[in-house]
Amino acid sequence: MKKSNLKLINTTLKVRQSNKSFNVNKFRRNFSNILFKYFCLLSSSILFITLFSIIFFIGKTGILVFKDVPLQTFLFSTNWTPEEHHFGAAAIIIGTFVLTGMTLLIATPISLAIAVFLSEIAPNWLKRIMRPMIDLLVGIPSVVYGYLGMTVLIPFIRRITGVDMGDGILAAALVLSLMVIPTITRISDDSLTVLPNEYREASYALGSTRLQMIWKVILPGAKDGIVTAIILGMARAIGETMAVVMVIGNVAQLPITLITPTSVLTSNIVMQIMNVQSDSTWHNALYMMAFLLLLISFILIACIRLIRNKGEQTI
Amino acid sequence: MILQNNNIKGAINMKRNIFKKITAMAVVSILTVGSYSGVFSSAANAATALKGKIVITGSTALLPLSLQAAKEFKKLNPGVSIAAAGLSSVAGPEAVQKGSAQIGACDWNATTNVPDFKAFSGLYANAVAVTPFTTIVNKNVTKTSLTTQQLQGIFTGKYKNWNQVGGQNHAIVVINRAFGSGTRVNYQTKALKGTKIVKSSSNYKEVSSSGLMFTAVSTTPYSIGYIDLVYVKAGVKAVSYNGVAPTTANVINKKYPIWAYGYYMTKGKPTGVTKAFITYVQSAKFQQGSLKALKFIPLSSIK
Repeated sequence: MKKSNLKLINTTLKVRQSNKSFNVNKFRRNFSNILFKYFCLLSSSILFITLFSIIFFIGKTGILVFKDVPLQTFLFSTNWTPEEHHFGAAAIIIGTFVLTGMTLLIATPISLAIAVFLSEIAPNWLKRIMRPMIDLLVGIPSVVYGYLGMTVLIPFIRRITGVDMGDGILAAALVLSLMVIPTITRISDDSLTVLPNEYREASYALGSTRLQMIWKVILPGAKDGIVTAIILGMARAIGETMAVVMVIGNVAQLPITLITPTSVLTSNIVMQIMNVQSDSTWHNALYMMAFLLLLISFILIACIRLIRNKGEQTI
Repeated sequence: MILQNNNIKGAINMKRNIFKKITAMAVVSILTVGSYSGVFSSAANAATALKGKIVITGSTALLPLSLQAAKEFKKLNPGVSIAAAGLSSVAGPEAVQKGSAQIGACDWNATTNVPDFKAFSGLYANAVAVTPFTTIVNKNVTKTSLTTQQLQGIFTGKYKNWNQVGGQNHAIVVINRAFGSGTRVNYQTKALKGTKIVKSSSNYKEVSSSGLMFTAVSTTPYSIGYIDLVYVKAGVKAVSYNGVAPTTANVINKKYPIWAYGYYMTKGKPTGVTKAFITYVQSAKFQQGSLKALKFIPLSSIK
């Protein structure tokens, strides 16, 4: 209290002292205000211009593929052998959806369990240790996860299943789960924690057990936040490249089993984009794949927005 | 009260002082660095008058060589600025054709047709180094030598079990580089004699770099792949080709055929600074010194 009082006195003293040069100060203040305003404006416009030129550029190059390849072939054929002029991306698109689905299937229950543990069950000292640790997990570079997946996880899968390779959707989904669990956990945790304590007290007062309280009150109450968390995790899983390319096997074929080497959009683009001539159909096809990825991310973000808006209306 | 006030003021002053000190230090260090570089460049400018800018892009395999050569060449000719980057072999000649780079490093001669890549017109190929490649297998594979025909069989998917080529009874795992990799182009041309590598057998996967190729083969039992000879170390076995061991000596005495020149592609014959730089890279001093130290084979060794 005392300290803040002192600060107040100090600042008033300073203002009085500076009254002499009031006009100069006023000018300076106005000037910096205007400067700051334009800095903010410039920053956001740079971002928007960059974003739109990326979308425009990728779309413009990608669309060229349809000069040589019909849309149905690109979307529905599973034959991706560009060196023999077959540009069917279906297997790769399906691979992307299967991988993302598998990842969420593994990651969501685990993340929610951790989030519930953190917000409802764990004692305070444990929370203080666990939350920064989970934040730390978000910051680990994906190439580290990929390398560990390649050298530790895949030999393990090979031993368990008895196959010769071990690369495929299963390995990629496990690695990706590890990567998205922190994201989903932290956001769900936050949305659980902000729920008013009255909810918990009321349900206890009505005689519910802790399990009933969590299942019937807390989780439904934080539904919007949890859905946002899952979609953000999904966006991360869809866009992840480096870790996936190291464990997926990179063969453009349908993921018939979870341990069949296969390909997803990101891994396929990064494997091939450097090695193709920049005016070829193949190059354009890869850009079209990138555009598809953008489109999927865009749809996901639109979903988040819709859910959030609905949430605001109900409150 | 007054005492406390003074303390706070003191703390603020101290903070200001620290900021001043940091600023002063930064200014001093900038000045020092500036004057040093000034001294260096003026001293060297007297030695030579060569001036210009070279951009090198392309093959990642040749990048260490380009970087080392650029460093040495800049020391000799401070008026020349060289920027070297590694993208991929095909990106090199492309950049040169577009004019965004003066030198395009490429693992094959881009003025000729190679499997899956058409020749680039209007370019000139300057050989700068010799790179040997080798077949590698996981440590647990018993075979130590494979013939051309056996390798073709393995990479086209005709042989699926090691016992079909005289090894143990277990399925072969084929690990391949991505399409367009310089290593793949050379291996396909020299070791497989142009035979196409067939994908989508069940025990097949692709990796994106030489480093990952090494990791994949060393951690996958019964696997086979191929790599630059310099990458071979404990963890994988280099396999003899038609009975000839993949060694530098065998490349030089022409017994071992899986090697290729690394090329600097230029737009037409090189001129000016670019020519001076390529001449430096091809000079005996660089070839026998730094190039050998980077485990490439000097051009003059192959006759």
